[in-house]
Amino acid sequence: MASPATATLSPARAFIREKIFLGMDLKDYLKSNLTAFNIVSAIILAVGIPLLVIRFAYGLGATTNLSQTAPWGLWIGFDMMTGIVLAAGGFTIGATVQLFGLHDYHAIERPAILTAFLGYVMAIIGLLADLGRPWNIVMAIFNYGTASALFEVAWCVMCYSTVLFLEFTLPASEWLGLKRWQAIMKKALIALTVLSVMFSTMHQSALGSLFLLAPTKLHPLWYTPFIFIFFFISAIVAGLCMVIVEGALSHRAFQSLVDHHVDMDKLTIGLGKAAAIVMFAYFFLKVQGVIDGHAWGLLLTPYGALFLVEVVGFVLVPSLLFAWGARNRKVKVVRFAGAMGVLGIVLNRLNVSVIAFNWNQPVRYVPSWMEFVVSISLCLIGVIAFRWVVYRMPILREQNARAAH
Amino acid sequence: MSHDFLSIYFAKSLEYVVAVGYLLLFIPFWRYVQGGRPAEVPAGADIRRPAEDFLRVRAPATARPAMAVRPAGATAPRPTAGWFHLPAGYLLHPGHTWARLDADGLVSVGVDDFAAKLVGPGRVDLPALGDRLAQGEPAAEIGHDDRTVPMLAPVDGTVVAVNATASEKPDALEDPYGAGWLFKVKPSHLAADFRQLLADAPARRFLEDAGEEIAMRLSPGLATVLQDGGTPIHGIAQALAGDDWDQLARQYFLT
Repeated sequence: MASPATATLSPARAFIREKIFLGMDLKDYLKSNLTAFNIVSAIILAVGIPLLVIRFAYGLGATTNLSQTAPWGLWIGFDMMTGIVLAAGGFTIGATVQLFGLHDYHAIERPAILTAFLGYVMAIIGLLADLGRPWNIVMAIFNYGTASALFEVAWCVMCYSTVLFLEFTLPASEWLGLKRWQAIMKKALIALTVLSVMFSTMHQSALGSLFLLAPTKLHPLWYTPFIFIFFFISAIVAGLCMVIVEGALSHRAFQSLVDHHVDMDKLTIGLGKAAAIVMFAYFFLKVQGVIDGHAWGLLLTPYGALFLVEVVGFVLVPSLLFAWGARNRKVKVVRFAGAMGVLGIVLNRLNVSVIAFNWNQPVRYVPSWMEFVVSISLCLIGVIAFRWVVYRMPILREQNARAAH
Repeated sequence: MSHDFLSIYFAKSLEYVVAVGYLLLFIPFWRYVQGGRPAEVPAGADIRRPAEDFLRVRAPATARPAMAVRPAGATAPRPTAGWFHLPAGYLLHPGHTWARLDADGLVSVGVDDFAAKLVGPGRVDLPALGDRLAQGEPAAEIGHDDRTVPMLAPVDGTVVAVNATASEKPDALEDPYGAGWLFKVKPSHLAADFRQLLADAPARRFLEDAGEEIAMRLSPGLATVLQDGGTPIHGIAQALAGDDWDQLARQYFLT
């Protein structure tokens, strides 16, 4: 793989040139980075990263419109709740391939795990900037507040991030040529997948359990004692939809890196079938939630309209679109439904933790521009990190795949 | 009514109705999602026709009892019948390669029993993944050591899978329609290509013809002697033509 120019360099410089600069010298590498996307990203990050630092140094009060009555804003609703739920593709596809044995989906397993890993890393980075005294976060390890939902959340974040990191070391060790570690991780992958399903199931639902502490603060259309189950099922929906959308985008953006034929259309249709079934069930569970909460009379209020937009417009409609698209093999329809599904889950998390939370307070929380920039910056860092890794490590290709002939 | 905690019986009945309604709706929904066209739409194909139409698969011959009782004076079975077999659902190219439409819409390709026995176990060279093949153009090669004979692609399309076992263990060709499949293609003109291939009775007759010809070459008149059930061994071409086996094979494989 080494380019002829690399042969004369010292091992360290050769490593940097081949592995970091993609076989170019520094000048060429920097020049290759001058793209429109990178320039726009740099401008956003030039504002976002200093804001993140200010938030870390001076706290949420200095950079947000949060108050004592509205302490949960975008930092919970988007950075944490949405970031984590959109990372659910990792355990969904991991379980599909490793546990259910549907090895056709192996081609999208690594991108899904990488997305999950980066999603968690971004959520943790955001959280460390948000927390007042972030060094106290380690206390969750030493204090066993087992009756606390946040205790479960904290442990699950720690454990699942570790599992995702270990799963990520498999392509990373292939990239760095650490053959021994790679061999160990290949054997451990199935065990790691079991752990990832366990921890993410607990984590996704534990985030819903947080709302069990605030039954009067959350609008009755969204509050239900079963909210943790809804969080878990909607995480599976989000995982499937994210993998459909992200698979379409990354196989288009990084087409040159895919060195083996992957029938993305077939995989997309398979995922669409699964998403249709899960969303269909999720829709009826949401209806049961409304009946169980005796909240049907609220459907005719403005909040009711928002609820119907979320549940009918972004759950039932995409479910039917998935079903029709998968049955008639219309890949574009399945992808469109996937994008709708992702938006629907984002809307659900924002509704639960921001819009319909503290719904009866006289003063409403509206995020400041700085909060938007910080959230966009965190997403952007995730996308750039994804691209950086995909260009270097065997994520869309497999180095050790058996030769074709 | 808007948030009425007293309507518990109404709420519970509604919950049961929704639960039962969901279960009743789930069955047709599941069937709808899992149904649909089993294969990808081949370009230019009539999408309303099921895959079986392309294959023209009919009930096996054993379902026709008339065959069992042969009327007096009927044509006797040809001595080469049964030398080379062909399972139902496989279409033959005149170059002795077969094509089979799989449930996932891909077409599996291999060499037929005649080709496998003519050349015998040896070397198999497969196309690369992503190669674009055209019907009637060379796609794979079979042979021994340094000499191979090209085999023609039965359909147009892109190679999406290759059977590495066939190239690693050449005795996989002992089972040419099963473990000995060579590669899979994503077809581009499935309907048009399949019309060019032989199926069922014509395909079997084609194999019998080839067998008869080979029998005549082995020893004129031998074909009639072999009625006791003897079948040719593998590597007929070498037995017949020695070092020039590849020239002989090329005649049959049209290459």
